[in-house]
Amino acid sequence: MSTIFWEISKRNIRIHMLRSSLAMLGIIIGVVAIASMGILGNTIVQEVSSSLSSVGDSVIVTPYAGGGGMGPGGGGGGSSANLYLTDQNFQQIKRAVAPNVAIPIMSTSAHMKVGVGSDDIVAPIYGIPPDDTKKLLPDLEAGDYSNGNSGCLVGTTFAKDHNLKVGSRISIGKDGEYGALRVTGIIKERGMSFDISTDNALVVTQDWFENSFGTTNDELNEVVVKVTNGDTADVKTTIEKQLNRNTKDKTVSVIDSKATLATIYETFGMVTTFVTAIGGISMIVAGVSIFNIMMMSVNERIKEIGIMRSIGTQKKEVMSMFIFEASIIGIIGSLIGGILSLVAGYAISALMFQTTEYLFTVATMLSVAEGVGFGIVICIACGIYPAWQAANLNPIDALRHE
Amino acid sequence: MVPAIQFKDVVKVYPLKAGDVTALDHISFQVEHGEFIAIMGPSGSGKSTLLNMMGCLDTPTTGDIFISGIGVRSMSDTELTNLRRDRIGFIFQYFNLFPLLNIIENVSFPQMLKSQKQVDEKKAVEVLRAVQLEERLYTHTPLELSGGQQQRVAIARALINDPDILLCDEPTGNLDSKTGASILDLMTELNRKGSTIIIVTHDPHVAEYTDRTIRIVDGRIAE
Repeated sequence: MSTIFWEISKRNIRIHMLRSSLAMLGIIIGVVAIASMGILGNTIVQEVSSSLSSVGDSVIVTPYAGGGGMGPGGGGGGSSANLYLTDQNFQQIKRAVAPNVAIPIMSTSAHMKVGVGSDDIVAPIYGIPPDDTKKLLPDLEAGDYSNGNSGCLVGTTFAKDHNLKVGSRISIGKDGEYGALRVTGIIKERGMSFDISTDNALVVTQDWFENSFGTTNDELNEVVVKVTNGDTADVKTTIEKQLNRNTKDKTVSVIDSKATLATIYETFGMVTTFVTAIGGISMIVAGVSIFNIMMMSVNERIKEIGIMRSIGTQKKEVMSMFIFEASIIGIIGSLIGGILSLVAGYAISALMFQTTEYLFTVATMLSVAEGVGFGIVICIACGIYPAWQAANLNPIDALRHE
Repeated sequence: MVPAIQFKDVVKVYPLKAGDVTALDHISFQVEHGEFIAIMGPSGSGKSTLLNMMGCLDTPTTGDIFISGIGVRSMSDTELTNLRRDRIGFIFQYFNLFPLLNIIENVSFPQMLKSQKQVDEKKAVEVLRAVQLEERLYTHTPLELSGGQQQRVAIARALINDPDILLCDEPTGNLDSKTGASILDLMTELNRKGSTIIIVTHDPHVAEYTDRTIRIVDGRIAE
């Protein structure tokens, strides 16, 4: 039964090729809009994930910054804000999180010169105990950790920007007032992170930091806990219980990087859904055009429907003929849209992120499948009412129709 | 033997805003299998309503209609559609073939509805030969055929499911007299082979081909 109605639907599309192609174009645009937005959103999420996932097992402890809490080294407007964590705070944290490792970090920004006659630049400097450096920064691009008091590690971007290699010298302070450091290693790119951002920074020993900038071990900017045992949320709770006993006058702010990551992913997920929904508007417009051409098709074929019904065609068979027509337009349009959205996604990824490695992932393919599926469903849904109307025409009235 | 068609005191009233219109007014008659009948009457007399009733496209307001002994009054739309498909063949004034389908597909259409299968070319060729359509035209589309050829295809389509009754609505009304005559000769031939044929017409010349004529005036049988 369906073969002949399928055949009629195909031929009807063929003889109205321009009209059908325009309807298909609407669906193609709709699918490309939805799928491309999905690809874009997923690529952003995966790009951010790859940058942040390495710090997903950290808990960052900073001085309490008042009600707002601004994160590592941040300010804040609370009346009971602290500027630094003390060594006593660090020892408390260390005991509370054992056997996990707690790493004390000092930080500042300083003027420096990277070569004779070079411009004066300002960059962040982190002071970390040598034994802990490898634990916090396990991957080096070049060199090693043997940074005695005259050695330092530099971030990969910093090294590239200033043409630094292992062995290069950096003069710290205006006119070298804090002395010179030799680059012993280049830290692998870490991207965004919750603990310390090393890509554009220097990492020195805590001793050198204290001696050069005149600080003490009671002036820690943050403590990073690398959680290898237990859950980050439990570690956070433990630290808060130990150090924030006085609820009115808190000592520390604690950030659970895993929970923060989850929030970030959730936010990106919402943004992706929102932009995809905007793409969905174009699909609805395409659906209206499908509805329109299907109504036109029904109106043009009233007499034909009357003949079919009079010679024994059931209502459901008439209906199937129009549903087939909408389905053919929907399936072809959506598949073309799916292919084009992959092309568009490839171009967007290549241009915006300089990488296409996230294009053929499950999440991205799912976005394309969603776009294609939505396109087909919209087409069929928009064909149902015209098909129902065709099927329910009075055969006598339809036969008389001119 | 049960009659091919039996009308028992059939009334059809169309409710209109301006007042009810009685299209058929207590009509009773029967058509035996193998009869060749003309239904004649002036415009607005109720001929088309009668044809629609016989073709199960419409149901009576009161009274009963039997097609080969089957009462149609209480049938569902699906049952009426199946009855039209299996027991009635329609032939229209304007041929009403499907322009998207070729001749074989047009003729096979009712058979495909019945068998739920693809085109059975053998059966289609058999009926097309019976209506004397040239074989070279079988793969053409209706618009490539003359009026007479199209009407032969329409007759073949009506015959494909071996119906009990052929209902013809002015089958020669859109043809020249020579072609019309050949179509009427074909119908006479089909009737001689056993088909029950009912022709609705204005043309007294057409009625001359039939066994008897039922005249309708103001919704009633006049004779």
